[in-house]
Amino acid sequence: MKLAIKLAFRNLIGAGLRTWLNVIVLSFSFVIIIWLKGVMSGWDQQAKTDMTNWEIGGGQYWHEAYDPYDPFTFSDSHSPIPGEFRSEIEKGDMEPYLISQGTIYPQGRIQSIMIKGINPKQSIFMLPAHKLDTVMTDAIPSIIGSLMARNLKAGIGDRVTIQWRDNQGTFDAAEILITEIFTVSVPAVDQGQVYIPLDRLQSMMGLEGEATILTYRNSETPVVDVPGWTHRPKEVLTAQVDEMIKMKTTGQSVLYAVLLLLAMLAIFDTQVLSIFRRQKEIGTYVALGYTRRQVVGLFTVEGAMYAVFAALLSAAYGLPFLAWQAKAGWTMPVDASDFGMAIAQTLYPVYSAGLVVSTVLLVLLVTTVVSYWPSRRIAKMNPTEALRGKIQ
Amino acid sequence: MIKFLFKGLIRDKSRSRLPIIVVAVGVMLTVFLHAYIVGFMGDTIETNARFSTGHVKVMTRSYSDNMQQIPNDLAITGISSLLNDLDREFPGFEWSPRIQFGGLVDAPDETGETKSQGPALGFGMDLLSGGSREPERLNLQKSLVRGKLPDSPGEILLSETFSRKLKVNLGERVTLISSTMFGGMAIHNFVIAGTLLFGQEGLDRGTIIADIEDVRMALDMKDATGEILGFFRDGFYNDDLALSEADRFNASYSSVSDEFAPIMKSLSRQGGMGTYVNLAKGWSTYISLIFIFAMSLVLWNAGLLGGLRRYGEVGIRLAMGEEKGHVYRSMIIESVMIGIIGSVFGTILGLSFAWLVQEYGINISGMMQGSAMLMPEVIRARITPPDFYIGFLPGIAATVIGTMLSGIGIYKRQTARLFKELEA
Amino acid sequence: MKTILILILSTCFLITASAQDADNILNRVERNMSSDNRIFESSMIIHGNRVSRIITSRTYAVGDKQSFTEYLSPAREQGTKMLKLENQLWIYSPSTDRTIQISGHMLRQSLMGSDLSYEDMMDDRKITEIYDSKVVGTETIDGRNTWILELTAKVSDVAYHTRKMWIDTERYVPLREELFAKSGQLLKRTTLSEVNQIDGRWFPMKVVYKDVLKQGLGTEFIIISVKFNQSIPDHIFTKAALKQ
Repeated sequence: MKLAIKLAFRNLIGAGLRTWLNVIVLSFSFVIIIWLKGVMSGWDQQAKTDMTNWEIGGGQYWHEAYDPYDPFTFSDSHSPIPGEFRSEIEKGDMEPYLISQGTIYPQGRIQSIMIKGINPKQSIFMLPAHKLDTVMTDAIPSIIGSLMARNLKAGIGDRVTIQWRDNQGTFDAAEILITEIFTVSVPAVDQGQVYIPLDRLQSMMGLEGEATILTYRNSETPVVDVPGWTHRPKEVLTAQVDEMIKMKTTGQSVLYAVLLLLAMLAIFDTQVLSIFRRQKEIGTYVALGYTRRQVVGLFTVEGAMYAVFAALLSAAYGLPFLAWQAKAGWTMPVDASDFGMAIAQTLYPVYSAGLVVSTVLLVLLVTTVVSYWPSRRIAKMNPTEALRGKIQ
Repeated sequence: MIKFLFKGLIRDKSRSRLPIIVVAVGVMLTVFLHAYIVGFMGDTIETNARFSTGHVKVMTRSYSDNMQQIPNDLAITGISSLLNDLDREFPGFEWSPRIQFGGLVDAPDETGETKSQGPALGFGMDLLSGGSREPERLNLQKSLVRGKLPDSPGEILLSETFSRKLKVNLGERVTLISSTMFGGMAIHNFVIAGTLLFGQEGLDRGTIIADIEDVRMALDMKDATGEILGFFRDGFYNDDLALSEADRFNASYSSVSDEFAPIMKSLSRQGGMGTYVNLAKGWSTYISLIFIFAMSLVLWNAGLLGGLRRYGEVGIRLAMGEEKGHVYRSMIIESVMIGIIGSVFGTILGLSFAWLVQEYGINISGMMQGSAMLMPEVIRARITPPDFYIGFLPGIAATVIGTMLSGIGIYKRQTARLFKELEA
Repeated sequence: MKTILILILSTCFLITASAQDADNILNRVERNMSSDNRIFESSMIIHGNRVSRIITSRTYAVGDKQSFTEYLSPAREQGTKMLKLENQLWIYSPSTDRTIQISGHMLRQSLMGSDLSYEDMMDDRKITEIYDSKVVGTETIDGRNTWILELTAKVSDVAYHTRKMWIDTERYVPLREELFAKSGQLLKRTTLSEVNQIDGRWFPMKVVYKDVLKQGLGTEFIIISVKFNQSIPDHIFTKAALKQ
């Protein structure tokens, strides 16, 4: 066996360009298998990524009365921001939201909305909250999502009347001025939502210093038990999406299998050809006293060695590439022409160390099998004919 | 010449069989993968279509402007004739009227007074007419937690969570309080036939489903409906077709200025689905392109190797006095033929596999106990027009380029040294 | 300097005087408009998107706290009854034979698709208890002289922070009312007309409610007949009466 490995190594190196072509192609398939699988998982994870970036951050504390599915709870779900969180909020690692129910009147139509007070200087969410940071006396600066904008038939710079009831139930109304429209794939952040500066909403509601939801940036933030507030860790908030992802993972395995077949094809062709081309060599081996099993072994080892070389080569450029991709993501501009606004979505490939290791092992296994398979023909060869190169 | 080369290919199995197999397998994988990715990524689109948007939706103009409010006072009337028109003019769709409505569900105690109540989101759809595909579309049977689907008028389905919240059981009576199409008060009794799991918290909170005729009666919507959903008969969303069909429909009403005139909207023109459709389209194209690129490398390599392999043969031909250019051209023509044959076989094979996975799907529901309405049950491939040609790109181009590259060597060889080479 | 001081003092005096006047005016309006009990038949005209509907009903009311309404037409609403006791509301529907309590946030819903919410009928506090009022001017509406009263909430749990009322200076009947948001934005306008004298009091027989932010024609409320100081049996204001 040791000899076989040595010999296989020499044969491959000796073949020069042809070997490297194969190795390069195979190493490409390594990286592409892992990367594409990662991208597809990333697509499944996208809902979660977007939720994190736009809605839930690293996790949240909810006022105990708050129920996102029952807008009627909003009027009771607020209380002063607990002192425990002061330092985090000052650092910008936690952001309070105040939520209130209201009504908007676009062109005399009537529509219920959720008015969300948000800190214009926040950096946890991807919401363009900085656009709220303007001084305006005759209207409330506000940002809305593109779906909402379409519903309202309103654009940047438009004014719309909103109506709400303060914490005593007294009606109040004012105009909002839309300072920015954003596009997001999380409907909960867009549909029926109007964002205005937090302090403005607090004073409108008569709820200075109060909030409904506190969102923290880092999911590893230690949990604090605060009376009146319920901690909602990220995994609870994304439970539904996680369930969906779990389901879809099965579907991913089909994709993975197809990608593996790609690698298989790459090596299969090489092996069949090399056996055909190297008949004389095989004949020589047999003439030299190699058993047929040893010859088959040699060719199998050669095939597997392609995979080893390819794995090494892939590691050299693939690992940095994959790591960079996971961090930077893959951004595709999509022309969301239905609203005439181009949006860019970034997919973050998701791959685990397990995926990398198992892919390498699987490809190695597949290559070995695929190399062995055509090599069996060797066993059937008549050595004299092989020596003369007469086998078709 | 072509005939001659073709005969050569057929007779010399070693020249044709393996390269064709390799190209065919490569093309098959490409076609299958593309169809699979399109199906996989479009899954969310189909779920949305079945549940709320349809592939296209017909409603009144005002309803469409206020869709978020579920404004049944803006419902479409005279729908039996409209449905006839739709069936006649747009036979590519299956048409299903649905009524969405909001309201309050109230459960009585023994004396008939309010025991418990809660806000509800309701769906009225065809459950009883027989031959309706709505229950299947929404996977109602499998999403049942308790009881059965309604089989007679006056029966209703509640989400399991809602039924527990209201503390009601199968066979009990609940009252729906809502508004009629004309704004009046609608109060109607239903008997609970079964409970459902939707798998999405918002819907599980308070959703009810009843037969559309019952809902019409409850909401005073005779011959009316909130929306008419259209589904492509092959069951898959086709954005271009949906858009053009919608335009065709809307053109016939363009001269009507009535706010109650019907309007057809494709799935991509409803809510946030447009963005999603574009994203899914974009990403599946990109991912497929990357795969095609990888596959091209493999096939290119195969073509290259195939050319190198025939080193000896080319030598003999040159030695016999064949012109270099002629040898080169004939090899390229051969590779084109191999590419075409391989791609055709591969495309046929790929399409067949994709078709199997499209028709039967890959069942992924085994991972969960019970089944929820909004959870995907099977993942299906989805054959789209590009699948018919997408494989030819790596199949032909890559093979030919590989051969071209390897063939360059032909020009480097000197006739004088050929026999020497051949002796070796 | 002196003149300025006098001016300020007199303005203060004027304001106090007019505040008293305003309260007096409102009390007289109150005496005119409310009664120990009344029975009236009315129709409500609701202008919907498609059709206008006319809903007629007969209402029995005692003071401001108890009322019982039975709907007479159209056919779909006929027999529907509504009972209000203090701040509770029940609806009975004959087709389902159910008595349903409307509570909490359901009260903010529109009443039969009108521009009125259930809640609008529920606030039964005296207007002078919850608003400070002053006369801010006069105006002639349809040939009637009116005082314009501006009412500002003195308690915080009130739906409308400010109101403006146009009161007929002779008959002590409001002819117009506007309801404002805290910001001063006009939200709703009520127009009262066809003031008739019934049992010695002046009473507007037609009221139009309009949500000014919303498009539409508003809701008309027309009193067909009204009788004051009748004897209404107590059992009418019980849930048992709903089913009869």
